[in-house]
Amino acid sequence: MAMPQISQADQAKLQLMQEMEIEMMSDLYNRMTNACHKKCIPPRYGEAELGKGEMVCIDRCVAKYLDIHEKIGKKLTAMSIQDEELMKKMSG
Amino acid sequence: MVDAGQNASIDNLDKDQMKTFSDFLMSYNKLSEMCFTDCVRDFTSRVVKDNEERCALNCMEKYLKMNQRISQRFQEFQMIANENAIAMAQKSGKL
Repeated sequence: MAMPQISQADQAKLQLMQEMEIEMMSDLYNRMTNACHKKCIPPRYGEAELGKGEMVCIDRCVAKYLDIHEKIGKKLTAMSIQDEELMKKMSG
Repeated sequence: MVDAGQNASIDNLDKDQMKTFSDFLMSYNKLSEMCFTDCVRDFTSRVVKDNEERCALNCMEKYLKMNQRISQRFQEFQMIANENAIAMAQKSGKL
């Protein structure tokens, strides 16, 4: 009784959302890999091992990339909420 | 009924496998392109020189190692984010 009924349409929507999120995550991962490779690994391949400096660079690059990703996400959300409110005011 | 369910699961497995396979092929192509552009600059001869080959193989190995490290760090961040989300949910549940 207390359990809310989830309709089939909602379930399909939920699954689609989940798939989109996974897709988005893998896109983020690929872009981050490209960016950090470009920034941290100079194109001279004298040896196959990662140098100490390269390792530190990669760690920081990942941390910073995800940090920026989060910050931009927050700002984008805030801006879109503001936008929506403005639109409501204009139409209301 | 049982057959239909099995077919669906086989279809799903196939879809996942195909995705993994195509991902692998894409990264293979990307790696070739990248290591070729970084390592081969001399076109006065049509054979791959020793140093070009060494460079390309090092390039590949290094890229894979870098990928491993990035994926480790990514997972760590993911775990922390998850824990934070759970803590937030518990907090708002209590309020």
